[in-house]
Amino acid sequence: MMFLCLAAIWLTGFGLLRWMFPRPLGWSLHNVLLFSLGIGAGAGVVSCLYFLALVLAGPNFTVLASLTGGVAIAALALGLGTRRQGTLLAWAEGPQPPWYLRGLFLLAIALAVTTFLVAVANNPHGDEGAWSIWNLRARFLFRAGAFWRDAFSTDLSWSHPDYPLLLPGIVALCWTLAGHESTDAPIAIAFLFALGTAGVLTGVIGVLRGKTQALVGGTLLLGTAGFISLSASLYSDVPLSFYILAALALLCLQDRHPEDLRFSALAGLMAGFAAWTRNEGLIFLAALIVARVVAALRFRDRTGPAALAPQMLRLVAGMLAPLAVVMFFKLRVGGASDLWSEKPALILQHLADPGRWIILIEGLVVVFFGLGRFLIPMVLVLALYLYLVRFRVEERDRRTLAAMGIALILSIAIELVVDLAWVDNLPVEIATGFERMLLHWWPAGVLMFFLAAGPLQLAAAEKPMPKSKASKKALKPSRRPAETR
Amino acid sequence: MIALAAIALCSILWALLDILGAVSQNQVFGVAAFENRFNEFRKTVQPHSVYGYLSDNLPNDPSALPEFYLTQYTLAPAIVKPTTAERLVIVNFHDNKPDAKLLRANGLAQVQNFGNGVVLCRRIQR
Repeated sequence: MMFLCLAAIWLTGFGLLRWMFPRPLGWSLHNVLLFSLGIGAGAGVVSCLYFLALVLAGPNFTVLASLTGGVAIAALALGLGTRRQGTLLAWAEGPQPPWYLRGLFLLAIALAVTTFLVAVANNPHGDEGAWSIWNLRARFLFRAGAFWRDAFSTDLSWSHPDYPLLLPGIVALCWTLAGHESTDAPIAIAFLFALGTAGVLTGVIGVLRGKTQALVGGTLLLGTAGFISLSASLYSDVPLSFYILAALALLCLQDRHPEDLRFSALAGLMAGFAAWTRNEGLIFLAALIVARVVAALRFRDRTGPAALAPQMLRLVAGMLAPLAVVMFFKLRVGGASDLWSEKPALILQHLADPGRWIILIEGLVVVFFGLGRFLIPMVLVLALYLYLVRFRVEERDRRTLAAMGIALILSIAIELVVDLAWVDNLPVEIATGFERMLLHWWPAGVLMFFLAAGPLQLAAAEKPMPKSKASKKALKPSRRPAETR
Repeated sequence: MIALAAIALCSILWALLDILGAVSQNQVFGVAAFENRFNEFRKTVQPHSVYGYLSDNLPNDPSALPEFYLTQYTLAPAIVKPTTAERLVIVNFHDNKPDAKLLRANGLAQVQNFGNGVVLCRRIQR
């Protein structure tokens, strides 16, 4: 029953997305992308509905089962019944990737899945934050019956009752429908979000840059030990990184297909679900709007900024429903944020302390170079990669890339200022929270990287040539007028 | 490009070996084992009830706070507060024999011993 519930959640998302972007069923990049995005869309829709049902009708099995089943059937009927043809998401033109790249990608999938399974088999309740915050909340929602609001008691202020409910809501719904509690539900949800993130990243790079770069990008994400470990920790960080990636990826697709405004609406919905996943999602949501406006004004095309108004309207419209749920939760159900309890004098004292700035910057640099727990600092490897293949941002991608960059910098800057001003023990926060903060942006960062990097020159994809001056010259990267570097 | 993929693959393989090493050395914090200690007491817990909490952990013991969190996680939907000022207090001993001196010092009287170091006490009016 638990897995039936998860299937219903996934199919709700897939049905909704197929209704928005219909194409014939079958094995295609389009459908892989819809299936990957469907995980997050379904989880977001169903968890919002679960919360509203809980508020209106209490934890009633019949209501929740009818709602989950009914929404899944309705979404599937919409998705499968539509006859129009939507925008096709297909592989970008480029050389076929060599066999060894496909092999490395498959090996990365196998290793990532094995690492995840071994980690969760060994630690099925997840790390401390998972059971003391997210799964604790899910237990209250499932076990407390009519007293489910006890989950947000001020006596539990150490467990952050103001944190939003996407993850605990989905877990509690699975337990309620199954009729029993099991660690299988949070584990399966964590697995689906990690899988969905890899699917969205690989698929979107495939649409924007081609199969070869998609396989390399997918291998890079699946090989990020820190990201896979974080997923197996059963925190809500990987779901947040999914929504950040999904929102930004959909805006990339919007700029490639400006006539289809559904991309903006769906990006807004994903950003709204980010806010329903973690408080950092609210920061991302605000940063995304600012970034999109600034990038539109800076990189305006012939149509002018007024042409972007319909896109912005749809982006904001997509955010509204989940944002309304978040606001209702914050104002009427969730506990008060511990940010409001801090005295202004102490905040100012924290901000004016140069020692704290130094600790923060030092910590950030150390975490940045160790990001992802690669054997050697990946940021240096990526810098070398960029040096070899050069920056080559196409004209049509500049606005997207600028918006992504601004959103990233703004979000991280706000989070750092919050840490600087409010957190008492900065070294502990740096040790426990900074890597997670940067990993929220890692999948989106990989997408930005491949959007900025020039096309790859694959020796195996070309016909063998005798070693001559001409061939050596051909392999040497050259600067072209279009390069921005 | 191959180097990029190879570094990623080696890193995830290394992480897998790390986890396997931790499994073989049994280095994982045992949530399930902790929960099992509270099994008998958990059966008596009702929603909306509130308990105080006391343990025999030393003041600077780093596992004191995680154990309190685990007690709350285990006993949800009851609310567990890190105080002995409640009418009923759960005491988490790391020994099967309750420390009567600690209970007296905190103004508590034993109500029921659930075994495995889990004791329910009531507050004595002073």
